[in-house]
Amino acid sequence: MESISRISGLLEAARELTLDAAQATRGVRTTSKTLDRNQMRKLLDSRNDREVLEGLRRVIAMMYRNHKTLPFFSSVVKNVASPNFEIKKLVYIYLIHHAEQEPDLALLSINTIQKSLSDTNPQVRALALKTMSGIRVPVISQIVSLAIKKGVADMSPLVRKAAALAIPKCYRLDPSQSPQLLEYLATLLGDKQYYVAGAAVSAFVEVCPDRIDMIHKHYRGLIKKVVDMDEWSQLATLKLMTYYARRCFPRRTQPTAETDAPQAQTQTQTTMDDFYGEASASKPTTQSTSLDPDLTLLLNGIKPLLQSRNSGVVVAVTRCYMDVGTPEYVKLAIGPLVALLRGAQDIQQIALYNIVSVCLVRPLDFVKYASHFLVRATDTAPIWELKLEVLALIFPHSPVHVKSLILKELEHFSQGSNKALVREAVRAIGRCAQADAATAPRCLKLLLSQITSLDGTLAAESLTVIRHLIQQDAEAHAGTVVRLAKNLDSATDPQARATIIWLVGEFSGLNGEDNIAPDVFRILLKDFASESEAAKRQILLLGAKVYLHHLNRKSEGEKNRAGEEDPTVEEEKHPIERLWDYVLLLVRYDVSFDLRDRARMYRAVLSVPQLATLMLLAPKPAPQAPSPSESRKGLLLGSSTLVLAGGGGLHGLRGYETLPDWVEPGKEPDPRLREPERDAATARYNSDRPAAAAADKLDEVVRSAPAGKSNGLGEGLRTKTLDDWLAEEEEEEESEEEESSEEEESEEEEEDDDSSDEDDEEEDDSDDDGETDRLVKS
Amino acid sequence: MNGVIEALHIYDDNRNPILSHTYTGRPLSASHLLALYLEHPFPRPSLIYLPNANPPTLVFSLTHSNLLFLATSSTEIEPLLVLEFLHRIVDAFEDFVGAPLLAVKLENNYDVIAQLLTEMCDAGTVSTTEPNALREVVEMEGWVDKLLGSINLPGKSPLNTTPAAPSLIAANTPAVPWRRANVRHTSNELYADVVETLSVTLAPSGRPLAAFANGTIAFTSKVSGVPDVLVTLGSPSGKHNIGGIMELPVFHPCVRLARWNERPGELSFIPPDGRFILAGYEVDLLPFTSGKSGSVSSNNLKLPVNLEMKTGLGPVGSEFEVRLQTNKIFGTPNSSSAVSQLSRAGVPGRLSSPHPGSPSSPLLDDLIVTIPLPEDVRNLSDIRPSRGDASFNRAEGRLEWHIPAKEISGPTSHFGLRCTVVGSLADDEEEEFDPTGFGFGTDYAYHEPYQSTAVKSGKEKAGADDEQDPKKTAQNKILMPSSAAVSFSVKGWLASGLKIESIVLDSRKSRGLSEGVKPYKGVKYLTVSKGGVEIRC
Repeated sequence: MESISRISGLLEAARELTLDAAQATRGVRTTSKTLDRNQMRKLLDSRNDREVLEGLRRVIAMMYRNHKTLPFFSSVVKNVASPNFEIKKLVYIYLIHHAEQEPDLALLSINTIQKSLSDTNPQVRALALKTMSGIRVPVISQIVSLAIKKGVADMSPLVRKAAALAIPKCYRLDPSQSPQLLEYLATLLGDKQYYVAGAAVSAFVEVCPDRIDMIHKHYRGLIKKVVDMDEWSQLATLKLMTYYARRCFPRRTQPTAETDAPQAQTQTQTTMDDFYGEASASKPTTQSTSLDPDLTLLLNGIKPLLQSRNSGVVVAVTRCYMDVGTPEYVKLAIGPLVALLRGAQDIQQIALYNIVSVCLVRPLDFVKYASHFLVRATDTAPIWELKLEVLALIFPHSPVHVKSLILKELEHFSQGSNKALVREAVRAIGRCAQADAATAPRCLKLLLSQITSLDGTLAAESLTVIRHLIQQDAEAHAGTVVRLAKNLDSATDPQARATIIWLVGEFSGLNGEDNIAPDVFRILLKDFASESEAAKRQILLLGAKVYLHHLNRKSEGEKNRAGEEDPTVEEEKHPIERLWDYVLLLVRYDVSFDLRDRARMYRAVLSVPQLATLMLLAPKPAPQAPSPSESRKGLLLGSSTLVLAGGGGLHGLRGYETLPDWVEPGKEPDPRLREPERDAATARYNSDRPAAAAADKLDEVVRSAPAGKSNGLGEGLRTKTLDDWLAEEEEEEESEEEESSEEEESEEEEEDDDSSDEDDEEEDDSDDDGETDRLVKS
Repeated sequence: MNGVIEALHIYDDNRNPILSHTYTGRPLSASHLLALYLEHPFPRPSLIYLPNANPPTLVFSLTHSNLLFLATSSTEIEPLLVLEFLHRIVDAFEDFVGAPLLAVKLENNYDVIAQLLTEMCDAGTVSTTEPNALREVVEMEGWVDKLLGSINLPGKSPLNTTPAAPSLIAANTPAVPWRRANVRHTSNELYADVVETLSVTLAPSGRPLAAFANGTIAFTSKVSGVPDVLVTLGSPSGKHNIGGIMELPVFHPCVRLARWNERPGELSFIPPDGRFILAGYEVDLLPFTSGKSGSVSSNNLKLPVNLEMKTGLGPVGSEFEVRLQTNKIFGTPNSSSAVSQLSRAGVPGRLSSPHPGSPSSPLLDDLIVTIPLPEDVRNLSDIRPSRGDASFNRAEGRLEWHIPAKEISGPTSHFGLRCTVVGSLADDEEEEFDPTGFGFGTDYAYHEPYQSTAVKSGKEKAGADDEQDPKKTAQNKILMPSSAAVSFSVKGWLASGLKIESIVLDSRKSRGLSEGVKPYKGVKYLTVSKGGVEIRC
């Protein structure tokens, strides 16, 4: 889907003008004049919110401009207790960025942030939790863990979401906290609010993707929620579910075709045809019975996501279908995948890598979208490369008119002026011809018409491909070689000439003496000196082969007429021998040592014809030209590793893992773990929670708080400056203010919340008051 | 298993870093990263891996209105996730600081940007990206605020301490995550903009090989409360097969998918406040080419311009010619009834019926023909457009021919351009005795019987007329362009013929909208081709 900014760009034609105008004014208008350090301090220390806000804005601006803002640390952080939400937010942002450089000072702010965790405004609570977990000072990990615990039990889903997002941060800070964190996570995964559950899944995938035992009871609930989650949580959930399915649903291998899904990647095209031709009738029934009902739930549940506006989600669904689904499901994903080509160019390119990767396995499904892959003049190199690859892949599976469309397309680009494009197009023609024997003659004809081209690249590339084709079916192509040999008169490209000469040499053994090879050899020798080195090398090889064939014929002939002696033949040297001597002579005085070496070697080898026959006339295996993306096979769809074809480094990208193999039947977890009764239990638990559980949790927090806090505070106490003591006094004053405002707020909230909540709030407040008292005094 | 975004850097048009936001980890510094990024040869892919940096870094890039956005990660991460995120960042920035995104605007609003960036991505995990949700948590200090703030008395400051208190309560129970609570508008408006981008490939004969219109419906909703909107789409061939015409649709999460699947053509949704993309789709303009007969459908494709190209003309085959014909009207016969209904309710000026650019008289504009030329072309010695002006950009290797709007609306609908290419230096002497007068005879080309391949006819002509060196012609053949592309925009017309039949505000399901309020409704159509109509030769 196009982004709104791009569409607005199309709609507002005048925009470029304004852009230019604004560019012109640039430099005239700069940000308001910079202030010196004292003035900044004054602003930050001011009692007027507006001035503080102004000061903070400047600090943030300085931060982004990479100016030094550390000197203001204490002045800024002092404001953390400000009741103004706006100020709070900016201070928090500053704090997250700089806490690491000033851990001791940062710790002083923890108290106040902790206090905000019990604010009546859920947004303030969420923000406080988010900030606290974002402070990268390992000492506070325990406090953060407690804060998360409190957040998990919060009534507001906003705070619970913040708690979920804080879990990976806390884990990064201190992995030893993981037992508690996993406990919180288990609760959050079962949250009724889809965006809390979504965030929990993101956290789960980051912290402990292997703990699928935690997922069992939430499995069905998560699948129900996935449609409502935001796109980013959907991505995490899809990743998790693919992993989960591999570990929990054994693939039942039945005699029909569904064995292909796991091994699809290694499947050859012929079996694919069989599969679509015959087995498809019987397959749907057997397939559906073999799928675990829970897996079917997943596969059907994510179907609506194929119409997501987020390209990442579409690819993730496709990955899920490819890796744990069946061909029917993959088929559903093809269209949406092709639709990604409508997006911005950057997305288009990444999408194409994934498309090619799917296309390698299921080319047939792409046939009806062939015209989407026509190369456009505006396409960048990676895009047309991939498009040509797709075209070549679907070629053998296409109906006739699509085939001719593809060939026309390739022909057009093989005659273009972009050398790289020409090369790719010609190679694609070659792959088409290899994959589909029926059209090979047509492809060959196409290529043969190219070799007379003046464009060296085109001619050379065509010949390489022609050589591949000829080698695959050598017998049928004797005539083609004769035609090629004729072109030696006109072809100029050294590589092209070398290829033709090599081919002539390969065919020099046909029809005994009635062969063009000696003649070609003779003609080439006339202008030997002006040939390129590559061509010279091939001429020498051709000579060696021709001479060898001659020797073999001679020895055979001698054998035949062993009885009758015919000494007259010996008198005159055969022309071929004379040619061979001549070429050796020529090469002997050539500048290239490589060529001279080769000549010596051939001469030595040819003194033993049997050995030479083994060496020079050995049958050559037909070369295979695999699709360029074959190297990407087996890489996880949608991953960066796929795009980079394994990554540049020796070990690939850090953090890349392939999916686990299918669990063996019998070793999978008990499907009853996913039973709804467990779900019901958790649901009941959830519904009870606001009344009873939340209070319990709060009590727990209060009980366990002092231990954790004294740690943090102890650290902070040592390095307290006078400023900070002052600041803390202010905090106290302000906290009183806060209370009054809190009361106002809670009154307002009463209108919406029911009475039980109200009680809760009050409890909450009183707890906190007690807590703060204790903290300040300790 | 799950990678995170570690940092985001933004560079201005001179590639000076103007912003770097670190989310987590120890990423490369902005300047260091830029140097490594620029090391990569020019057409830089959107994903680059720097294995030798420390840490080895994945760099994702996006360029938007001259600003370069780079996001980095040092572990495996889904590339599309990061790129989509970058696009969302651009959207959010434009939403908050104004449409053409400029370095100076970002610099003046660092505090807003900082809030946006921390909200949108929490320590590397993408979190809140819905513009409406961002509106709730990020306050943009508008000029009104500034004005009020400056006269605010110090004693009043407690008022500021509870900003947007009512919205916060509603945030507890967001029924729809994409819609902001408590929306108030004095004038209620609903607009739909349908934009189709053409992507057409024509064979040398002029026969279309592929023709698609990629459509996007942008919707603007400025309605108080929680409205429930129903948009009904229609097509020229009736409503029943709209699902067949609109292929591969994608939707904003607000659209009720079940309703669409049940009754294609009906989009029922609770819109976010403001402007958003409602849906994307594509239309195959050659619906029958998937069958066997391609020739039949060539008549079906109606484009506002016809393009024809001939290469290898002139005595040495060094000339080529482009002919362009604009088609006056694109026939929207039955659209008048439905749309005029909407336009009557619409804001005056936006849709008042007979002005150019409305569906009744579509307006063709921004007509540009772009011809990419091979690298070997040194210059175009002779560029002769019949109208407009054409120029050759050597650096980019392409010829651009602009035809201004007043020429299009003029009496002629035929335009021509003839050029002579100059290749390598060796050709120069040959160019001297090129009979220039001969090249002008564009007439003969017009009377020529129509042939399928333009190249051949040109060559034969050249060979027959004066015994020119066929080798020369063959050499010049390499210098000939292989395609030409037309860009244009047509206001008030859609290539697919789709139209918005109605925009209905369901008053029963909507909440918070006072009785009797009838929002203004408007529909705008636009077809754009950004080099999207391409002819090969």
